[in-house]
Amino acid sequence: MSFFKGLLKETFKELLSSKVNLVFMLLAMIISLTALNTIYSLGMSAKHQIIKILESVQFGKDAMVIVAGGGRIIGLTTTRSDTLKMGDVKALEKLDFVKLASPISLGYMDVGYKGTVEKMRIEGVYPNYTVATNWYPQIGRFITKKDLKSMAKVCVIGSAVPKKFHMKKVLGTYIKLAGQYFEIVGVLEPKTFFGHFSRNERILIPLTTAQKRVFHVNYLSAVKLLFRPGTDMKLAKKVIRKILRKRHHLFGIAPDDFRMITPELALSVFSKAITTINMFLLSISIISLTISGVIIMNLMYANIEEKAPVIALRIAIGASSFDIILHYLIMSLWIALISGFLGWLFSVGILKLISMVSPLKPEFSVSSFVLSFCFAGSTCVLFTLIPAIRASRVEPSLLLKSL
Amino acid sequence: MVKPIVVLEDITKSYKIGKVTYEVLKGINLEVYPGEFVAIMGPSGGGKSTLLNIIGLLDKPTSGKYFLEGVEVSDLSKKELARLRNQKIGFIFQAFHLIPWATAMENVLMPLLYRKEGIKKEDVKRAEELLTRLGLGDRLDARPAELSGGQQQRVAIARALINQPKLLLADEPTGNLDTKSSEEVLKIFEELNQTGLTIIMVTHDPEVAQRAQRIKTIRDGKFIE
Repeated sequence: MSFFKGLLKETFKELLSSKVNLVFMLLAMIISLTALNTIYSLGMSAKHQIIKILESVQFGKDAMVIVAGGGRIIGLTTTRSDTLKMGDVKALEKLDFVKLASPISLGYMDVGYKGTVEKMRIEGVYPNYTVATNWYPQIGRFITKKDLKSMAKVCVIGSAVPKKFHMKKVLGTYIKLAGQYFEIVGVLEPKTFFGHFSRNERILIPLTTAQKRVFHVNYLSAVKLLFRPGTDMKLAKKVIRKILRKRHHLFGIAPDDFRMITPELALSVFSKAITTINMFLLSISIISLTISGVIIMNLMYANIEEKAPVIALRIAIGASSFDIILHYLIMSLWIALISGFLGWLFSVGILKLISMVSPLKPEFSVSSFVLSFCFAGSTCVLFTLIPAIRASRVEPSLLLKSL
Repeated sequence: MVKPIVVLEDITKSYKIGKVTYEVLKGINLEVYPGEFVAIMGPSGGGKSTLLNIIGLLDKPTSGKYFLEGVEVSDLSKKELARLRNQKIGFIFQAFHLIPWATAMENVLMPLLYRKEGIKKEDVKRAEELLTRLGLGDRLDARPAELSGGQQQRVAIARALINQPKLLLADEPTGNLDTKSSEEVLKIFEELNQTGLTIIMVTHDPEVAQRAQRIKTIRDGKFIE
């Protein structure tokens, strides 16, 4: 048995000899580590979920959304927002790197069905909306060119709408929108959503119908663009901006009256918000870990006081100061190992529970496992160091004075 | 010519408590030769334990020189002193000082842990042999709480001997034992001494001291004739 193996065995036995001390030390660490792991995993899963959602709506790396109205990415429009027109879409479609341009006219309106009225998101769309958003009807059909041409009063509804209105029959049923009846011709397949806003509660109508019959506008709310693979996003952004500014007669220092949202930008905005909340929660966890560390330090001191004769004996039979420090650091690593594992295990349990009652799907990553051990190890070692140094200074001569 | 294993030259030790300095040892001179069995006697507070601490390298003298096997140890570092204690000295205490959560066998093997060479199969065999020789062959896995005082002291003796030391230091080894156990321990000491082991034993009991070859009496920090 090597020196290190012997020390591992000896320290573990010593830990077990003071079970009450051990339980309190573990408890202090486990509570903090569970909180830390849970927060970390939730943060990570929220971020991954946003990426997944963006990908599921064809907002991968070769996509862009041009939103009417200038200003910050998220926030109020600071310029006119009625300048994005179909002419712009036609101009953008002509660019060789643009694979597809899908215009959208958006609004929120009361939708009625058999006496029930709900405020819903109404989108006037083109038939290419399905390709642009990777979102297809589950039953029925989508909006066609013919619908566009005739400004048909037909609609395709989100998968959550029938349930919202308690519809028994969906296809062929009429809903009331802006005082007119629209026939439901299709139901979209369900999509995952994040937060409180359900993406499955929307009503799609032909763009022409939306503009002329519902919103009474001649401009668009947004245009979704899909690029050909390998398009240089920076260059594409530059070209599109130039075209739109020229078409909108914006010169010199006049600000853009549109916003170009790329997946990276969308992700960074979401991530920033999540990171801020996470940092706040993580700092609370770290404070709690520090408190746990102080508890461990206190209990280690008590342990050293209690076991001073044993430490003195070890010194008498040949342990050096370094051996004694190492002894206590290994003891703290045992605590870190046990509490790190249990803390991670409890956090997995909590995350499972969260995933059962919320739309968040927490991920059980290797990084959270490693994080748990790293934090446990560093906290235990850091806060045991001072008691360990104190232990190494125990006078061995007390063995002969103790009686 | 045989050289002494322990040479103390004019050793003094004083403690400062507050503003008052207490002189515990006032110029101790002692030579102990290999194979000797020396008893240090004296009344309580006479400086016996302090002297044993210094001889056992557990404490440093305030002044004077201490040679262990010809090496001046007063100026050695803590690490070197630890190594010397591990390799050359075996300790036996009045309170046994066994590790409560370790078995008899583990207690005996403890000094080998700090030898840094690892515990080998032959070490385990030697520990087993030692415990068997001391009458504890059937109590190898017993914890100190499961052993009598005499048995605990025998485990402590085995622990002191496991590293094959040159010098055995015993501080009131029979102080906590009944007559029968005391007799057993003293017999073991005599047997060990006959094998050539040097023993220095501190005791206040004249009967126990009589078992040694040489008795040195200490009073008020000095040896008296």
